Amino acid sequence: MNGSRHASAQRLSSPLPTPQVTVTFRSDGNLYIPGERLLARYRVEGVDETLVTAVERSVAWYSEGKGEEDLGVVFFDRSVAGRQVSDEQVGWQPLTGTISIRLPLCPLSYEGLIVKIRWCVRLRLFFVGGRDFVSEHIFFLGDIPVARPPEPVAS
Amino acid sequence: MRLPSFFSKKRGERRTGLPAWGSLGEALYYAVLLAAGLVIGGLMLTGVAVPEWRINNRFVEVSGRLVGKGVARHTTVDLFGARRQAWRPAVLVEYPVNGELVQSWNTAGLAETSSRREVAVGLLAEQELGQTVPCWYDPDQVTTVVLKRGYSWWFWLLTLLLPGALVAFGGSGLLHAAGGWGRSEERQAAEVWAVLQRLARPLAEADGYPTIPACDNLVNSPGTVLRFRLPTESPEAWTVLGSGLFAGLWNAVVVVLAIGAGFDVAGGRIDWWLLGLLAPFSLVGLLAIWLFLRRVLLVTAIGPSHLEISDHPLRPGGCYDVLLSQAGSVAFRRLELVLELEEQATYRQGTDVRTERQVVWREVVRRWNRVEPLPGTPFEAEVQVRVPLRAMHSFHSTHNAVSWRLVLRGQPERWPALVRVFPVVIFPASEAVAAGASPAVSHKRHEVAS
Repeated sequence: MNGSRHASAQRLSSPLPTPQVTVTFRSDGNLYIPGERLLARYRVEGVDETLVTAVERSVAWYSEGKGEEDLGVVFFDRSVAGRQVSDEQVGWQPLTGTISIRLPLCPLSYEGLIVKIRWCVRLRLFFVGGRDFVSEHIFFLGDIPVARPPEPVAS
Repeated sequence: MRLPSFFSKKRGERRTGLPAWGSLGEALYYAVLLAAGLVIGGLMLTGVAVPEWRINNRFVEVSGRLVGKGVARHTTVDLFGARRQAWRPAVLVEYPVNGELVQSWNTAGLAETSSRREVAVGLLAEQELGQTVPCWYDPDQVTTVVLKRGYSWWFWLLTLLLPGALVAFGGSGLLHAAGGWGRSEERQAAEVWAVLQRLARPLAEADGYPTIPACDNLVNSPGTVLRFRLPTESPEAWTVLGSGLFAGLWNAVVVVLAIGAGFDVAGGRIDWWLLGLLAPFSLVGLLAIWLFLRRVLLVTAIGPSHLEISDHPLRPGGCYDVLLSQAGSVAFRRLELVLELEEQATYRQGTDVRTERQVVWREVVRRWNRVEPLPGTPFEAEVQVRVPLRAMHSFHSTHNAVSWRLVLRGQPERWPALVRVFPVVIFPASEAVAAGASPAVSHKRHEVAS
């Protein structure tokens, strides 16, 4: 299973350009050990940065499956045009950057039958006019095997 | 011209949309509920609550005299043009206001409106002309007088409950919508998480291990042989409690009906409908008592199960001693101890909230056949439980959970099957164990080291 997902072109309803987001993880197979430092470089292409009003970068886990979605954000950073928010950000460069955080010990990525836990880096761009665009890039925390239904209990 | 999309559209991993429109729709929905609550509450307050409060706090008490009586007719026309008349007893009260006598008709508090005139006339027989009655008049409009005071508590309760619920639901939703206005779900989650970290944790978690349930309740009972005695989550206990409650409530209803029927019979009147209803109700009541007693007997006859463990919480790859003790005098055809991993997902279906559980991993720790306990001595066995090296840790969040448990299953000789659940918590593997557990992680560790 390849967790790397690269955005492809998509047209927005307004005459905005179509962003292409690339996130590169500094890890083989996008696999991280609990407590390890995540280092990911992102790059947005195909969009005029003057149309971007804000950029949100986050590292989060979320649940998938039969239940309602639960979301846990371990890193969040929002930078707005004309306002420097992050210390590491020099000037307004919304279309390239690096995310570097120490990952928590849990929850580990998990592929269950009715509960799944996924880790991702999300990049959300806000454009002039209020429309937003989010790009999500999966990585794996830990190496838990995929769950399979057990054999029924012998009567 | 393209209309704006109200909802985000999900295409693969990218979603686009106008979040402000979604927030606006949500805010409008809650604003309507809030407005409805305020309007209904206002109508109830001005229509009932405020007049009642004025009667009890502002009206002036005087001693009046009944100087006349009659019936008040109320005529209504329904949708089809038919006229209907209703009757209500009324009395003419004379009372002093600032030295002058004032007369006023009053119907409130005498009786309910009746569709039959003779009923209203009959009720007037209780009122004697010339009798002195306490009454209260409105100082702002002296011809408004009442013969009774008090509060309609049920109406006050309705005034608080119905509009109050709408105001609370609409107001909190509106605040939530306003708080999320223009904010992404990640931003909201990050901000809510920061607030929760400061105030309180919604779910008890182990220190340093977010989303792993705290196991304080699992390690606060020392074992007699091993370190900890695990608490049980026996479904039988809930079944006994449920059947006991049902039997108690049902038979209480039967007793009330039987007392009513008994008084009727003693008074020489037989209500066949009531007696006919009582017979099947009594049968169901007896059946409920029998089922409850049977379940109590089942639990007490099989006896309690105890499980002790050498350490807790558990770790992947770890090996733990477990002592099983099964008291009671019941012989088992088969008894087995199982380690299970169960997933639990909670979701909405319409207006219902449902929880689905599924066991995704199961391993029999030990199975015993033909267990014959000695009199006065519980069946005891010490076994070893090995947690798989790459086991998922325990996990719980608001709507999802992954739980580990030791399950004791037994098939007694002449009783229904026994199931007793002992929850355990598994933490993630320590880094050293994790490095050797997975080829991918092991390779990665090697790279990091070099």
